[in-house]
Amino acid sequence: MALADLLQQRLRGAYWRDPVAWLEIYCLANLTFLAVDILIAHSVNDFRRPQEYIPLLFSVATPFLLLPAILAWLRFHNIFWWKALGYVVGWTAVIIGITGVIFHLDSRFFYERTLKSLVYAAPFVAPLAYTGLGLLLILNRMLDARSDNHPSAARMQEWARWVIFLAMAGLFGNFVLSLADHSDNAFFNPVEWIAVISSAFTFTTVLMIFVMPVTRRYLRFCAAVLGIDAAVGVLGFVLHTRANLEGPSTFLNNIRYVTPPIAPLLFPTLVSLTLIGIWVLAPFLPESVSPRKRRTAAPAE
Amino acid sequence: MSFRAVFIAVVLGFALIIAAFLINRARPAAETQQPNVSLVRASGKCAECHVRQQYSVVHEYEMSRHAARGVNCLDCHQPADKQERKDHHGFAITAHVTPGNCRACHERIYQEFLRSRHAATSWAAVYGEKGLTPEQVSFAEQYQPGGAKRPPHPFVQIEGGPAMTSGCEQCHSIGKPNEDGTIGNCTACHTRHVSSVEVAREPRTCGQCHMGPDHSQIEIYEESKHGVLFNAQHGALKLNTPSAQLTTREMFVPTCATCHMSGINGQKVTHDPSERLSWYLANAITEKRPNYQQAQTNMKQVCLQCHTAPLVNRVYAQAEQVVQTTNQRVRDAQAIMDDLKKSGALSGPPFSHDIDFVYFDLWHYDGRTSKHGAFMGGADFVQWHGNYPMIQKMVEMKSLAAELKRQHGSR
Repeated sequence: MALADLLQQRLRGAYWRDPVAWLEIYCLANLTFLAVDILIAHSVNDFRRPQEYIPLLFSVATPFLLLPAILAWLRFHNIFWWKALGYVVGWTAVIIGITGVIFHLDSRFFYERTLKSLVYAAPFVAPLAYTGLGLLLILNRMLDARSDNHPSAARMQEWARWVIFLAMAGLFGNFVLSLADHSDNAFFNPVEWIAVISSAFTFTTVLMIFVMPVTRRYLRFCAAVLGIDAAVGVLGFVLHTRANLEGPSTFLNNIRYVTPPIAPLLFPTLVSLTLIGIWVLAPFLPESVSPRKRRTAAPAE
Repeated sequence: MSFRAVFIAVVLGFALIIAAFLINRARPAAETQQPNVSLVRASGKCAECHVRQQYSVVHEYEMSRHAARGVNCLDCHQPADKQERKDHHGFAITAHVTPGNCRACHERIYQEFLRSRHAATSWAAVYGEKGLTPEQVSFAEQYQPGGAKRPPHPFVQIEGGPAMTSGCEQCHSIGKPNEDGTIGNCTACHTRHVSSVEVAREPRTCGQCHMGPDHSQIEIYEESKHGVLFNAQHGALKLNTPSAQLTTREMFVPTCATCHMSGINGQKVTHDPSERLSWYLANAITEKRPNYQQAQTNMKQVCLQCHTAPLVNRVYAQAEQVVQTTNQRVRDAQAIMDDLKKSGALSGPPFSHDIDFVYFDLWHYDGRTSKHGAFMGGADFVQWHGNYPMIQKMVEMKSLAAELKRQHGSR
C-alpha cells in the first residue's frame, strides 16, 4: 500500500486513529492541566505579582477556546474556526511562555548570575511548556493536510519530524529541570539521579533521529527508551508523593513547598508526544539499512 | 537498526550526565554536605524569598562566620526543645530564636552566660522574680547571691509598664526568661544573622546599655587611654579573630570584651564577666564579691598582657581606695536618710520627696560613676562626675533633711 494511501485511509478513519486529532487533544489536555501546575507553583510565591495570574487564567480559558475549535473541525468540518481559534491559543501560549522565562529569571538570576541563584530561582525552563504547546497548535494548523484533504507524504513526514523535534526540546527540558530541581536538595537521595540519567539518554536517543538517517528498527529502540523514561516519570510521581506524605508540613503544604508531585508526570507526557510523532514517521522510514548501502558505506580495504 | 545512532546517542547521553555530575560537584560543600534534606534546601531556598523581602537579613548572614562555616538559616531557626513549631513554606521553623537554639552548638558559652549577671540577675533587677521559674532563681542565686531573689524595682510601680517596656527592659531583657525555658538572648551582643564576634567586641555594642549616668562605662572608656587608642587605631585591629586564636597582636588595644571576656594570649575566654570582677561596684555600698581573690587575679592576668605588674597593682590599689571613700560618702548619706525615717520626718512611699531623688542620684549616679571611673582610667568621672557631685548632693541632702525635720517638728 502506498504511503499516501495509508495516510489518507488514516485520515478518513475515526479521530482516535488520527495523529492530528491526538495532537489537538494532547495540547488541549496539557494546556488545561497546566492550570493545576501553575496554581501550585505560583502559590509558593503567594501570587505576589499580578502577572503570575496570567498563565493560570490562560490555562483556565484554553478549553473554552480550544474545545470549540476541535469540535468545529471534527464534528462540523469547519476548518476556518479550528484554525482561527487554534492560532489565537497557540500564539498566546508562545508569548506567555517566552515572557514567563524572562520573569522567572528575573526572580533572582538577573541580579546574581551564579549557579546557586539559577538553582534556587524559579524554574526558568518551565514556562517554555506553554511555548512548546503553542508551537504544536500552530504546527498542527500550518502543516496539516486537512486544508486540502489531500495530505502529501512529504507533508506528513515533515509534520511528524516537527512533532518529534518539539517533543525532543521538551525531553531536553526534562533533563534541565530534573537537574535543577533536584539540585535544590543537592541530590540528597542518590535515587534523584535516575531522572537526570534517564532524561539525558532519552534526549540523545531521540536527537539521533535528526542528526543521521535512522530506520524503523531504530524508532522501535527509541520507543523502548521512551517507555523506560515514562516508567521513570511514574516512579518519580510515586517518590514525590511519598516525600510529600513524609514531609515536614501538611500534605498540601508539602505539595506546594517541598516536592512538586506533578513534575515527574512530564516524563510520560512528553513520551506520549514523541510516540505520536514516531507513529506517523515510522511508515516513511526503511525497516533497516540495506546490505548494499552498508557495503557502500564501508571503508575500502 | 543503525548501531552508529545508538552509539552516538549513548556517548552524548553520558556526556550530559557527566556534565551534570561535574556541575553538582562544583557546588560549595556548605550547600550540599548537610545532614538532612531540609538543611540542604534551606542553604539556598530561604534566601530566594528573603533577599527580596529583607535584603539586609540575607546580606548580614552572608557576611557571617556561620555562612562561611556552612551553618544555614534552618540550623538556627529549626525549633528547639519546647519551642513553638511554625510551618513556613515547607520548613518547620521557629521565628523566635533563643539561646535554646544557639546552645545546640554553644552549650558551654550558654552555661557561662547563665552564671553571669547578664542572665536572670539582669532581668530581676527590673522585674524581680516575675517570669523566672523557681529553678532559674535558685540557679542564679548560687552564682549571684541576692541577684535574682528580689522584689521588682520600685520604678516598675512608679513609672508604669510602657516606661519599663520601652526603657529599662530594652537592656535588661538580655536576661529575660523565654517560653522555652531558656534565659536571655545571644543576639543582644552578637546581633542577629551576622552573629558576629567582631560586633560583640566593639565597645559601642556594650555601650548600648552600659551608658548614661547610672552605668556610664562607655563614656568612661571613651575618656580613658584605652578608648582614645581604640578610636585612633581601631582600623588596624582584627576584631573578628576567633577567640581561641586571639592575641595582643590582633587586639593591641583593648575593648570592653578584651578585659572582661576575651581569652587573649591563651587566657580563658568567658561569657560570665563576673569571673573577672572583684567588687559589686553597682551596689550603693560596694562590697567584695564572693570570688574576690580569684576574680581579681583573673583580671590582673588580662591586664598583664599589656602592662607591668607594678602599674596594675597601683591602679587596683588606687581604685580600691576610691571604693572606700565612695562607700563612706554613701554611708553618710544613708545615715541622713535612716535618721529621717527613724524620726518620722521622712515617710510615705519611695520617691515621694525631693531628698529621695537626691539620695538615689548620689549613690546610683555619682557613687557608681566615681567607682567605675577609678577602675577604668576615667579621671574626669572619678572627680567631676563622681566625687564632686556627691559632695554637692550631701550639702543638698543636709539642707533638705533640716527642712524636713523642721516641718516635722512644727507638726
